[in-house]
Amino acid sequence: MAYHVQNIMLVASGLSKSYAGKVALHPLNLRIEPGEIFCLLGANGAGKTTTINLFLNFIAPTAGKATIGGLDVTKEPLASKRLLAYIPEQVMLYKNLTGLENLEYFTSLAGGRHTASELAGFLDEAGLARADAGKRVGAYSKGMRQKVGIAIAIAKGARALLLDEPTSGLDPKASNEFMATYDLFRAKETGTRVGIMKQGHLMATYTTSELGHSDLERIYLEHMHE
Amino acid sequence: MLLRLMTYEWRNLSADRTPLWIALFLGLTMAYGTWNGSQWVSFQRETIEAARQEERERLEGLRREIPLVEAGERKVSAFTDPRLPSAVGRGPGARYVVMPPYGLGALAVGQSDLYPYYFKVTTGSKQTFLNNDEIENPVHLLTGRFDASFVLLYLFPLVILACSYNLVSAEKEGGTLALALSQPIALPALTMAKLLPRVGLVISMPVLLSLGLMAAGGGDLRAEGAGIRLALWVAITVAYGLFWFALAVAVNAWGRGSATNAMVLAGLWLLFVVLIPSVLNVAVKAAYPVPSRVEMIQAMRVAGDAATRQGAHLLARYLEDHPEMAPAEKGGAPDFGTLQVAVNEATERAVQPVRDRFDAQVAGQQAMVDRFRFLSPAIVAQAAFNDVAGASAGRYSHFLAQADIYHRQWRDYFVPRILRKEKLAAADVDRFPAFAYREEEWGQVAGRLGVALLGLLLPAGLVAGAGWRWLGRYPIAGS
Repeated sequence: MAYHVQNIMLVASGLSKSYAGKVALHPLNLRIEPGEIFCLLGANGAGKTTTINLFLNFIAPTAGKATIGGLDVTKEPLASKRLLAYIPEQVMLYKNLTGLENLEYFTSLAGGRHTASELAGFLDEAGLARADAGKRVGAYSKGMRQKVGIAIAIAKGARALLLDEPTSGLDPKASNEFMATYDLFRAKETGTRVGIMKQGHLMATYTTSELGHSDLERIYLEHMHE
Repeated sequence: MLLRLMTYEWRNLSADRTPLWIALFLGLTMAYGTWNGSQWVSFQRETIEAARQEERERLEGLRREIPLVEAGERKVSAFTDPRLPSAVGRGPGARYVVMPPYGLGALAVGQSDLYPYYFKVTTGSKQTFLNNDEIENPVHLLTGRFDASFVLLYLFPLVILACSYNLVSAEKEGGTLALALSQPIALPALTMAKLLPRVGLVISMPVLLSLGLMAAGGGDLRAEGAGIRLALWVAITVAYGLFWFALAVAVNAWGRGSATNAMVLAGLWLLFVVLIPSVLNVAVKAAYPVPSRVEMIQAMRVAGDAATRQGAHLLARYLEDHPEMAPAEKGGAPDFGTLQVAVNEATERAVQPVRDRFDAQVAGQQAMVDRFRFLSPAIVAQAAFNDVAGASAGRYSHFLAQADIYHRQWRDYFVPRILRKEKLAAADVDRFPAFAYREEEWGQVAGRLGVALLGLLLPAGLVAGAGWRWLGRYPIAGS
């Protein structure tokens, strides 16, 4: 998971979530400054997606609150969503529509109105080939769908970006050492700050510039084996 | 924005040819249903025409016979003398009361194939014409015919549910819901954008089809009040459809998976369309059992026999009650016709309690159905559809009331003439009372249909309101 904040702040204060007594997220205090890229690392069930869902107001917090640019996401769900874009692990689109039509549809939901050439430009920027943009999404690969998802985020001009498992569709639990290392590598490469989550707790945060790659790997493994 | 989202939804629906299949399915079933209905209407018209033809020929025969008998060219007995009102009023001069099928009759057969729509009125007691020609087809009683109203009551909700049972759940399962709702739009608004094209498509189809089929010769649009009734038919169809859409939204809003939604909605369909109507049917019969027809016939026979045995005594009493009817010259044994008048009256009086009980029970049943029909929109809609098509219980009792009045007129014409031992002339045949069915006032029909419309819109609104509220709490992520 990564939060990319351009000029607004994402803040979680005492944010927690329980399902029928089972704690999915222990009270989380987190402050992501403008311009930061914050990566949350952790196995499945560590609470990363729960945190994202709380920021998207897809689930109601048990306690605490999440704010985007100062807006409480539960009180101003629509206004806060205008500020952010979300790219899920699996970008799922309407199979019967083309990539371009999907882009147009999802930007319409945001109330956006773009010309055909603008829309094509967003897809170019996201790296989808022009020839593919007119094809039905049913024939798309996962990567192509992800590019449409990125184009949707670009079209929205969002000031904060939420990415859920952007690097792979693999289950870290089932993945081997290599994949886990690969995740860490991406976190180190793209993030300005890294947080390590385990069983609903944010264990620690680090600034990547202060860490070598092997340091991050060591720290991550230490936390996982505690 | 809503309009723009709806066009995408429409494109999405069109991609797997949903509109085409719906149009094809509803088009074929509606056309077949209307054809079936119009077959029944033409059968009724032909039967009525045959009865009228038979009546014309019979009366023409009387006009021919009477002068021949008067001239002594033909020998006749007291039972067949075409000049005797007692003989003529009992059969040869009898006329039909007829309830012609309504101009929109092809839309719904209702129970019009169970109730006799024509009787022969004679001077005999009322029961004879009520029991005449009664046909009860148990299969039709159970299922009804395959007519346009059947399509709308049973199949139309299924089409609605088929294209909306997974309205929201499919989005969640397909993963598009999270992406869509990460945009600044609330779930109820998104649901509306997905719902409206379906509502437009599925509801407009049967509306256009019924209007088209009626205009294309399935109905007689010049019939009295046909315009307003057709408009109400459309309104009832729309309201009934909205109820089912509201139900689908409410079930979706619960947040269960598509498979569960399908099961729940199929169960609700069964409940509203099949179970509640059958249970109500059984309950109504248990609460207000109608005396058996055998009992009624038995009572009539016994009363008739008793009355026949004491005919002379009865006549004396009858004449005491109606001194103005007493024949001019006294003395002599009363003839058969005169006795029959008294016997009929006595029989009728003796059977009246059974008849009253029968009527009261039927009225009780109707009142109970009227009260409890609001438990199921299917019952409300069915009664309303029958009402539009002129196959309702209301129109039938309107007809029976007119037939009753006519029966009285018939007797008032013949009985004094029988008692006064008058003889009919050929010209009298044209003076026999004639029956002309008067259609119900459209205001009366519209009043009943207005109540039905409320009975559909109100539950639809309540269910939609609940669904709308539940959508606000929809579990977008997780379980």
